[in-house]
Amino acid sequence: MANFFYRWFLSQRPINSEVSELETSLSIKKSIQSIKNYHWTWPSICHYGFMASIFLFTFITNPLPWIIKCLIYSTLILLCLIPLTGQFFFNALPIFTWLALYFTSSYFPAGKRPPITVKVLPAIETILYGDNLSDILATSTNAVFDIFAWIPYGLFHFGAPFVVAGILFIFGPPTILQGYAFAFGYMNLFGVIIQNVFPAAPPWYKILYGLESAHYGMHGSPGGLARIDTLLNIHLYTTAFENSSVIFGAFPSLHSGCATMEALFFSYCFPFLRPLFIFYVCWLWWSTMYLTHHYFVDLMAGSVLSYIIFQYTKYTQLPLVDTSLFCRWSYSNIEKYDMLKENPLGSFDGDDIENIPLSSLDNTRVLDLNDNNVLEFDLDDQASLTPNNIFDRTSYASRSSATSNISLEESPLPPRLNSNKRID
Amino acid sequence: MARTISSMPKSFFGVLPLYIGVEIILGITILNKCSGAYGILAVFTGHPLDFMQWISYLWSVITLIVYGQGLYQIHKPRVYTFSQILVTFTIDTVITCLFTLWFTAVWFGTDNVVEEPALLKRGEAKFSQGASQGYEYTVTILITMTSLVFRFYYNYVLASFVQELLRNPKFLVDQDDVAQDLKNKNGFTRLWIKSQRVSYHWCRRFLI
Repeated sequence: MANFFYRWFLSQRPINSEVSELETSLSIKKSIQSIKNYHWTWPSICHYGFMASIFLFTFITNPLPWIIKCLIYSTLILLCLIPLTGQFFFNALPIFTWLALYFTSSYFPAGKRPPITVKVLPAIETILYGDNLSDILATSTNAVFDIFAWIPYGLFHFGAPFVVAGILFIFGPPTILQGYAFAFGYMNLFGVIIQNVFPAAPPWYKILYGLESAHYGMHGSPGGLARIDTLLNIHLYTTAFENSSVIFGAFPSLHSGCATMEALFFSYCFPFLRPLFIFYVCWLWWSTMYLTHHYFVDLMAGSVLSYIIFQYTKYTQLPLVDTSLFCRWSYSNIEKYDMLKENPLGSFDGDDIENIPLSSLDNTRVLDLNDNNVLEFDLDDQASLTPNNIFDRTSYASRSSATSNISLEESPLPPRLNSNKRID
Repeated sequence: MARTISSMPKSFFGVLPLYIGVEIILGITILNKCSGAYGILAVFTGHPLDFMQWISYLWSVITLIVYGQGLYQIHKPRVYTFSQILVTFTIDTVITCLFTLWFTAVWFGTDNVVEEPALLKRGEAKFSQGASQGYEYTVTILITMTSLVFRFYYNYVLASFVQELLRNPKFLVDQDDVAQDLKNKNGFTRLWIKSQRVSYHWCRRFLI
């Protein structure tokens, strides 16, 4: 087993490379020291403050016994403080924040909830997209289509986030999982907040009740998935959707948001398989409308939310991918996007020809090092956009253009050119 | 014309570089234009579509192809491609406004009014938990208007990006090369490149 692991994953590992290493310490003191030394910035205050306020809100609102709530929160804090577990749990805090809010959503008192809209979504759908697309796709149904729709909606959706996380962790660059947890968690968190603030009835409601007014005492419906229950002689989806935490949470579609986020991250890491990921998203969109769970406008809201959060994460946090490298252990350093340097319009001013950026010098940052002011400005600018992680142990490598740990004698070419594992 | 140049946005929402704004705009627009492909599936499901719906869905698919090429080129933009995208986007903005008016009339022209129960205090009875007709109407109009306002702003940002491309010597176009290429291309490609050239000339005329 060790041989297999070494042959497949460690054979390309650069000498003395530390960027892919995991924290193995169990010392809580180390984490507390990191918190004490942490340099707070406005983005990090917003990031942690926002999550803390949601956690506090769910702690107070959730009707579970106080002792159980205290136990759950204490366990989470402990798991975050132990460096070995913290590297996963702490980075996944946006996901836990979303889950805490989602499972508390069904307990909000009906009297304090916003009114349920039943006509806004079909109206918007018709006005912006010409018709109710869910109606168009669900006009004729059959068992084959039912199964084809159930596979992404009822099966893949629940397993895909874990599969994607595992593949990104192994085959993506180090720290990409951190970015995925951030983007995935925030997308779902914002999605659930919108669902609670703007409760809206899904297409199955219009089929069952027309455009009559809705109330919070109503049970949810499995929509087209009821046919799957009948087909497989089970009661899984009927039970699950009747007792859903957010029955009138049609807008935005988190099925669409999750699929889009997964496709965006996979496309970012494995661009040669992009058509496959696009197909998956289109397949899931079709199935949600066919099963009468969402209007097209819900799908768009979920996907646009994902796309915006992904773009933010990409430009502020994600490590650059080298498609010629095989897995996380093949990386010798981590580089990130530089929004200004990547700008195709550059800083060129048509009236000042001396301002044309010299790309070769720009890459090695010789100019920056000769001018302390420029260097400081550049780094500060990046830091101002990134909510740094308190326990970040790879920050020393961030945006580094330092040479690889492979010595020049051993490898005269950079890893991208020196490898033949992947050709993009 | 100088006034037009100076009033163009130099960043996206005053924060991000224009190219990131264009990447976000094209991504959002492409996602929305997928509606055309699903609408056309009515051919297989048997759902009836009227003439305006057909035009709307076919137009969405065409624009989807035009915008798609921009997303691939955003880090190495070509003036011809982005001129075509800008002209298409501008025409699309006008057409979207017309379609919005048409489909709004269709929705409100259909009998979608349900009798409202007598007024009750919120949370007092189950019927009061549903939105009132006025609330539904207001939210519908608000979302529609917001989407149109964003669309106009996106158009403005795209125009600014293309203007920057046109003004930047890095992106100078050698028209002779393009003309030579045309001879060896098939009819569709010739039409495509011709539309890019026409768009380029329009952009030069109105943005420089």
